[in-house]
Amino acid sequence: MSGDKPLPAQFEPTTWYPELRLFPAATRAGDWPAIAAGFQQLGGWQAATVAIDLIADVHGADQFFRQVVARDPSPMAATILGRCLIHAGWRIRTAARASQVSRQQFDALHAHLRDAERALMDVTARDPRALLAWESRLTTARGLELGVAEGRRRYDRLARVAPHHFWAQSFFLQHACPKWGGSWEEAFGFARQCAAAAPPGGMHGALVATVHLERWASLTGDESTQHVLDARPEVWAAAQRSVLHPAFRREPGWVFAVNAFAFFFHVTGDNPAARPFFHLLGDFGHTRWWESFGDPVEEFQAGKAQTFGGVRA
Amino acid sequence: MIKETEVDGVPTLIAPVNGPMSAGLVFRVGYADEVLARAGITHLIEHLALFDTGQADYHYNGRTGAAFTEFHLRGREHDVVSFLTGVCTSLGALPMHRLEIERQVLLTEESGQSLTPAHVLAPWRYGARGYGLPGYLEYGVPVITPDEIQHWLRTWFTKENAVLWIAGDGVPAGLRLPLPSSGRRWAPPAVTSALPVTPAYFRGPLNGAAFDAVVPIGAASQVYAEVLQRELFRELRQASGLSYTTATGYTTHAHGTAQVTAVADALPEKQSAVLGGLIDALLTLSVGRVEQADVDAAKTKGREALTDPDAEAAMLSAQANALLVGRPIRTVEERLAELDAVTVEQVAEVAAGAMTTGLLLVPPGSTADWAGFTAAPTTSYTVVPGHTFAVVDDDQDRFHIGPTGVSRVIGDQAATVLYAECSAMLIWPDGGRLLIGHDGMRVAVEPTMIAGDPTVLYQVGTGLPPHLVVRMPAREESEIPRPEPVAPTPAPPEKQGLFRRKKS
Repeated sequence: MSGDKPLPAQFEPTTWYPELRLFPAATRAGDWPAIAAGFQQLGGWQAATVAIDLIADVHGADQFFRQVVARDPSPMAATILGRCLIHAGWRIRTAARASQVSRQQFDALHAHLRDAERALMDVTARDPRALLAWESRLTTARGLELGVAEGRRRYDRLARVAPHHFWAQSFFLQHACPKWGGSWEEAFGFARQCAAAAPPGGMHGALVATVHLERWASLTGDESTQHVLDARPEVWAAAQRSVLHPAFRREPGWVFAVNAFAFFFHVTGDNPAARPFFHLLGDFGHTRWWESFGDPVEEFQAGKAQTFGGVRA
Repeated sequence: MIKETEVDGVPTLIAPVNGPMSAGLVFRVGYADEVLARAGITHLIEHLALFDTGQADYHYNGRTGAAFTEFHLRGREHDVVSFLTGVCTSLGALPMHRLEIERQVLLTEESGQSLTPAHVLAPWRYGARGYGLPGYLEYGVPVITPDEIQHWLRTWFTKENAVLWIAGDGVPAGLRLPLPSSGRRWAPPAVTSALPVTPAYFRGPLNGAAFDAVVPIGAASQVYAEVLQRELFRELRQASGLSYTTATGYTTHAHGTAQVTAVADALPEKQSAVLGGLIDALLTLSVGRVEQADVDAAKTKGREALTDPDAEAAMLSAQANALLVGRPIRTVEERLAELDAVTVEQVAEVAAGAMTTGLLLVPPGSTADWAGFTAAPTTSYTVVPGHTFAVVDDDQDRFHIGPTGVSRVIGDQAATVLYAECSAMLIWPDGGRLLIGHDGMRVAVEPTMIAGDPTVLYQVGTGLPPHLVVRMPAREESEIPRPEPVAPTPAPPEKQGLFRRKKS
């Protein structure tokens, strides 16, 4: 759900995952056959999750997919339409604080989410193994405020098909946080459980970093600093089992996962601990979390420079 | 094989049974024939009629339903004879000296009953009349007069409006049914609706979620109910432990359709998931993902019931209902053949239809608009023309009183009851009135709450026919609404509750 401002190339998912470039390109070209063929070629659902987000980030994709669904209905097209509507709704809402969002914007968001939900619930009813649709239904459950228990039920339905689905876990983790009606107990419990159950070398350890960052963001002043300092050993251990593990592979989503660790250790001020994550990222950068301090691109670059002792890597 | 005969002009259905004989005398009358202000009159008559038959050693009872009232007994042949003859004799000369006591018995029975989901759903689907009335309190019980009872008896409890069934070898010797004759059998009550659009939802007082739908009568609908139960049990109980109880039911209605009801309970913190799971289960079946194995299991279960040696006898009561409303009596063989012919596609078709006629009860704080259900009305679309009277201390809150009815308007929300569509008006000695409309809308008119001269309120409802008026006993002081004392930071009163229809 990126903003309107174009990002430098190294912050763009199409740079990290060049094999997915065809999806936004074909969406802009209105070429549904190319998109459908592209999904057939993908190596797994991790890539499909990122691909569908890249499509949904294209402005006007919801209009295009409404036409596709009307012309040539299929579960795939309905699934993509659902995700497009979610992104379109959130673009109207903007990422601003709720107090800055107008009634009309919220109404438009909810109308988009309801349309998305109807398309998606039909897909999951016909095929309970429809991972991408379940994934999106985690987001509609949160946005429509259907309740954390309902979000969890949807996650559990998805987990029956894919027990270690990092993206789905990231989506539900948001819902489990107090800002969306959950509790810290539930959020921490979920993140730790997912990370512990995942195979070594998976991205799942990033859920532990993420939930600590959510807690950090909810606190102020010394309390927030103290929280991340206390959490260092746990997050470091999670990283060892995750992106720092020899079995770790750069699968779609990895930049997001590694960035969470990088930001976490940057916030603790522990430059040596942050370094391996910036090394892993190489030339790539991610905006998530860095917007907490200001312009995310500038903050990322500054954080990275600070990690390497003031020398720009 | 069911035999058909007659006893004293009453059509009689007979099927053999193993063990003791049982018999039932069924009348085509029930709550759905009453008006809200006299609700409970059939039930009161049922109680009075049974008083003289007190034979504690035997299983006898009366049952007042929406469209049928039945007196039944299981026992020896001569007990059946004396019970049925006794009921008929009682109906001819009710023990009216018992009236005050039976009123109390019914009120006590009512206060001890908990609401079933079907009772909660009925008023929202049908309104405060007809098939909605089983979901309301029996407002009439304290005020029904002996004359009203006699009139009700002569109208409904007649030989033309009755059917007898006997599970046993035949009509017991000496059985007489001395019922009055009126010359007519009554058609089923009209089907009313309080739902402008379906599928619809409302928030209700239930820990969990419930659903009902109007479906065609037949084996495919019965199988659908069982398949839905299996899906709910699997998803909400076995897989996730969200519900302890999931249940579905299938009932035929007097007016030629059937109703499928589903309910799933939930702990308070799991309610949203139970609602979501119920909706997903309904949708799963309605898009056609009906498992052959579930259909087979449902058919096996149905077949077991139908091939029981006493199956024919067990169906007698339902057959008597069918006969009373002019539906054909069907043999076990016919039912088995229909059940065997049910296909996955037929069940899916019923499921798809159920989604379009459905009514969903959602837990407090939830909605179902996101799933395509429309909120059932909780406010009125119209306000009656007439004088307006401000409510004490609130310039956003007004009574509208006119020649056609009464409205209460709070902000931009209204509750209106038109006199022409009024189901009941309750009047308390302190002058307070509660009007309930056919659509279930409620308007409470309280003299204590009006700014200015309260006597203007005493004209409210004066033109209503007497049988729509319930004169209530005096209320406790604490039950009479008063303006809230002025507090430094008054909490916003929960006025929304005014317009909700609920059993109270």
